[in-house]
Parts: sequence; C-alpha cells; structure tokens
Amino acid sequence: MIESQRHSFHLVDPSPWPISGSLGALATTVGGVMYMHPFQGGATLLSLGIIFILYTMFVWWRDVIRESTLEGHHTKVVQLGPRYGSIPFIVSEVMFLFALFRASSHSSLAPTVEIGGIWPPKGIGVLDPREIPFLNTPILPSSGAAVTWAHHAILAGKEKRAVYALVATVLLALVSTGFQGMEYYQAPSTISDSIYGSTFSLATGFHGFHVIIGTLFSIICGIRQYLGHLTKEHHVGFEAAAWYWHFVDVVRLFLFVSIYWWGGI
Amino acid sequence: MAMAMVRSGLRTALRSRTPAAAPKRNYSSSAGHDDARETAKWEKITYLGIATCTVLAVVNLSKGHPHHEEPPRYDYLHIRNKEFPWGPDGLFETKQHH
Repeated sequence: MIESQRHSFHLVDPSPWPISGSLGALATTVGGVMYMHPFQGGATLLSLGIIFILYTMFVWWRDVIRESTLEGHHTKVVQLGPRYGSIPFIVSEVMFLFALFRASSHSSLAPTVEIGGIWPPKGIGVLDPREIPFLNTPILPSSGAAVTWAHHAILAGKEKRAVYALVATVLLALVSTGFQGMEYYQAPSTISDSIYGSTFSLATGFHGFHVIIGTLFSIICGIRQYLGHLTKEHHVGFEAAAWYWHFVDVVRLFLFVSIYWWGGI
Repeated sequence: MAMAMVRSGLRTALRSRTPAAAPKRNYSSSAGHDDARETAKWEKITYLGIATCTVLAVVNLSKGHPHHEEPPRYDYLHIRNKEFPWGPDGLFETKQHH
C-alpha cells in the first residue's frame, strides 16, 4: 500500500480507541460524582472508568508508535500534526494553572473578615519558604537542563548519552516528588484548613500531579531512546515531552514566588 | 515578440528560482550550533544543578524539621462537612495523632 501512495499524508485506519476513551471518561465522571455523594457502586464505576481510560491510553499510544516508528507513516508533514497539537494542549494547561494562581491571588490580595482580614489567615501554620520549598525549587529546572542535554545528545546522534540524560531527568523528577511528599507530610496545615489550605493545596497538588505526568512522559521517552526509536530527524514524542517538562518547571518558579514566598510570609 | 521574450525570461527566472534541494529544517536548538558541543555544555549545567541541589538538601535536612504549635480552634480550620470515604483523617493529617 505504502509504495503506491503518492502523497505524504497519513490516512488513519478506523480505530475503537476514541469511543472507548469517551466511554471511560463518562464512567469516570459519573462514578466520581457517585463516589463523592452517598451512592452505592460509585467506587466500582469510578475504578472501571479509570481502568478503561488507562487501557485506552496504553493501546492508543501503542498504535501511534507502531504507525510512526515501525510503519513509517509519520512523514515530515504528518509530524506537524502532533507538533501543532502540543501547542494548544500546553496553552490550555497554562490557562488551567493560571486559574489556580488566580484563586490564590483573589483570596489573598483582599483577605475577608472571616479569616481575620489577613493573609495567611489568622491562626494558620504556614511553611517556611526558605526550607523545603526553596530546596525543591531548583530541582525541576535542573531536571529541565538534563532534558535539554538529552535533546542535544539526540540531535548529535549520541544515543547512549541521551539515555543517561533522560535517566538524570527522571531521577531529579522523582527526588522533587519525594520532597513534595515530605513537605505535605510536615506541613502544619492541610487542604481542610481555610481558604489558604484550599488554594495552596490545589495549586501545589495539581503542579505535583503534572510533575508525575511529566515524569512518566520522560520515562517513556527514555525507554524509547534506549530501544532506538528516536533519531536525529524524528523525535516528535521526545520534543513534546521536553516542552511539557519546561512548562512544568516554569510553573514551579511561579509557584514558589507567588504561593510559597509572597503568600506564605 | 517582446511579450514572448519577457515571458520566456520570466519562465527561466522562475525555473532557476525553484530550489534544487529543499532547505534543511532548522530546529530551534540546533540553529548555528554544534550539537556535540551543546551536549557537553548542557551536561555540565546539569551536573552543576545536581551539585547545587545536593548542597541545598544537605543544609536543609541537617537542620531538622520545625515543630508547629497547635492553632486555636477557629471554625475555618480543620473543616469537616462530611466524612472522608477512608476515615476521619485527611490524607496528610495522620501526624496530628503523634
């Protein structure tokens, strides 16, 4: 078939994954609402939905790797699709996290009388930004430097160095998540302590969740680099992971300055 | 006659304009740089980052973690509107028992 193709576009085969992903999302949403309200079977439906989504993610991306790496459908022009797709995806992530920062600013710039008219609210224990938060802040940019190292190694054709660089990226990311867990464990306040706890936990928690996603993304890139999937000319998946990772480490800087430092002193 | 000459001239000009080989795509990160040198540079930057983080971690962890006093029971603290599915404590609240 490919020999007779006279254009550089990828005409995809019919796939069950869009509908299975949609059904998984529906089950997750309905199950999640049922779980949070007193309905029977909520936990079961939620778990089923999440399993369905995870399964769909696995097989869909497996198919994309087969089509691109093994069958060669991702020509230069086809590569533009995932590239242009990554941009609005990351922009939407920026807007999502912006909303969390805005929630914090909204509550802290003019603190209400209910929380003592001050920020942080009266009586709440806050973390010292000069301790674990300050320690944890340079870890992600260092991991970002490692991913840039990996990028140049891929472009230079140094396959082994690229694997080492991705291992460094992932290790730094895991250390960062470890410190974040330690910080939560030692924190004097939790998500149920006033608007401070809510906005703090939502912003730092969702950032931590993004760190975990980026870590998984980098692990997959490391495995694919080890298997020789990524070449000098063709490494769109890696580039998407690198963009995502830089987005995550920039957000950490904003988090430190506005929520830990400005909002915590 | 003049028109024909102009037209053929234009055609030649256009033909010579069509590139023999498409220009190589320049990635933002490789524009004008030697990738091997950049690889070595970023490897050093990574090591510098790891060294900085290690020093910070040693300084920080050797100080021991702070103990906070229990705040007064303001009604906006320790909010419980309904039970958690897993028990009385929030996910990071187990420390309050010791």
